[in-house]
Amino acid sequence: MATINYRLIDIDALDPESAFPAELLTPPCNPIPTFEIQSLATHCRQLLQRGDQETALVAALENVPYGGDEQGKELHLGTVLEILSSIKAVEMSPLLGRLYASPSGTELLDVLTKQVYLYKGMARHNNSTSTPGVSSHATGVSSVSGAREYGVAPGKGDGGGMSVLLSWHEKVVEIAGTGAIVRVMTDRRTV
Amino acid sequence: MPEVHLLFHQPIADHSFSADRSLLAVSRDTKVELYKRSGSGFTLQDELAGHDKTVTSVDIAPNTGKIVTCSQDRNALVWEPSPTGWKPTLVLLRINRAATHVRWSPDETKFAVGSGARVIAVCYFEGENDWWVSKHIKKPLRSTVFSLAWHPNSVLLAAGSADAHARVFSSFIKGVDQRPEPTVWGERIPFNTVCGEYINSSGGWVHSVAFSPSGNALAFAAHDSSVTVVYPSAPEQPPHAVLSVTTQMLPFVTLCWTREDQLVAAGHDCHPVVFEGSMEGWRLAYSVDDPRKSAGPGVSQESSALNMFRQMDLKGKSSVDDTNLKTIHQNSITILRPYEGGPGNVTKFSSSGVDGRIVVFTVKG
Repeated sequence: MATINYRLIDIDALDPESAFPAELLTPPCNPIPTFEIQSLATHCRQLLQRGDQETALVAALENVPYGGDEQGKELHLGTVLEILSSIKAVEMSPLLGRLYASPSGTELLDVLTKQVYLYKGMARHNNSTSTPGVSSHATGVSSVSGAREYGVAPGKGDGGGMSVLLSWHEKVVEIAGTGAIVRVMTDRRTV
Repeated sequence: MPEVHLLFHQPIADHSFSADRSLLAVSRDTKVELYKRSGSGFTLQDELAGHDKTVTSVDIAPNTGKIVTCSQDRNALVWEPSPTGWKPTLVLLRINRAATHVRWSPDETKFAVGSGARVIAVCYFEGENDWWVSKHIKKPLRSTVFSLAWHPNSVLLAAGSADAHARVFSSFIKGVDQRPEPTVWGERIPFNTVCGEYINSSGGWVHSVAFSPSGNALAFAAHDSSVTVVYPSAPEQPPHAVLSVTTQMLPFVTLCWTREDQLVAAGHDCHPVVFEGSMEGWRLAYSVDDPRKSAGPGVSQESSALNMFRQMDLKGKSSVDDTNLKTIHQNSITILRPYEGGPGNVTKFSSSGVDGRIVVFTVKG
């Protein structure tokens, strides 16, 4: 008798009426085939080669693959990270300011911070390091000095990639406010 | 200048003024305190003790003066004045989780109680048995109901819930309600008809819902720091417009319409903000009690000079403590309510906060 902790019994599981399908909470999003994400990635890369980072970033953020599968999302994350790291640190704030002023500005910055690319990108960096506890802390520190010095290319090492993301994060929150962070935590659409 | 009343140092979950604004009911822990206006302040006059867990909501009916309270003890009580003081009547809610929110219908014949049991109890007085009974709105609620709002016709009821939806229900009860005039929400509407169901793009908890003064639009505030206004077109038809405004602030938990084209929202950022718009679009217009424009802390130091020097001595600080927020409320705002002016022309509104303050703000212009 006394061995059962009644407070830990999930009573909702015993009640068929309280079954709670997660789909109900998620706003509907259409499935996106991976080849479309692939062609978007190619399109963005062409824009980058022409030096038009802003258009590339907008294009990548406007077409978020909420409905894509894991592989497609990973591919899109790669595209966005590539664009982000190609933009110089001094250009970040003015660019974000222009994005925010555009009609769908908050949405774009939400997608950027937000969900995703910053947080998801950071999560990926953390996972790929071999000694997670220590090295994630180390990259957090190095970013403070590293942030302003260079717009880092991807694959230049985790510390560098992370510092880019952290400085983007700082700039986005400066402009879009704490609301953007709250929306990251709230949003059920994942990228 | 806003009128500030620091009542005590405990959270105020809900507050309500009587129609003539002379009586103020404030929930405090397991009790409701009644304050009487005296000069520029409020003095404690009476105490309604009947619940044994935290009181979550309180509402004074403007015409009859009856007070309804609900609590985490899963009960609601209706308090009526009698020669020997306030007399409570227990309401049969039949819920097995905490009651979260209670509001009288505009015609004051019914009230609705939201709960954590995924039901809304619509309560009405049954003369035969001399007893308040309830009918449940169950489907399709999937989670705790945080807030309720009545349409001016006293039949339609909006509910905001933790399942990310704002819904409009019919609470038509035969024998109590007259058949309502057809509205944009529906024509023939038996009890528990779902007249509208809305979710915004990111789908956060819906903290607050509110009908516009005409009842032809619905606003809801969700946990993604947004306010969404819905303009329905006709029954069973997609709405004319669903307009979301996302903000840079922390989430809003309470809404109050002041005019058909203006509403006030407040929440975890501790100061109210005004939204303006129409079917063409909504925008955040300005902040009331804007912390960025305020020079010093929003409230004068409560502590004595002795205490101040002691603090400086203990903490080794050379200046006065700067932990005060620059807003008047020093913690989240829980409820906004219209204070002065009729529906559609509210000139002043009141707010209660977790800091134990009641503030009366003026709507600018």
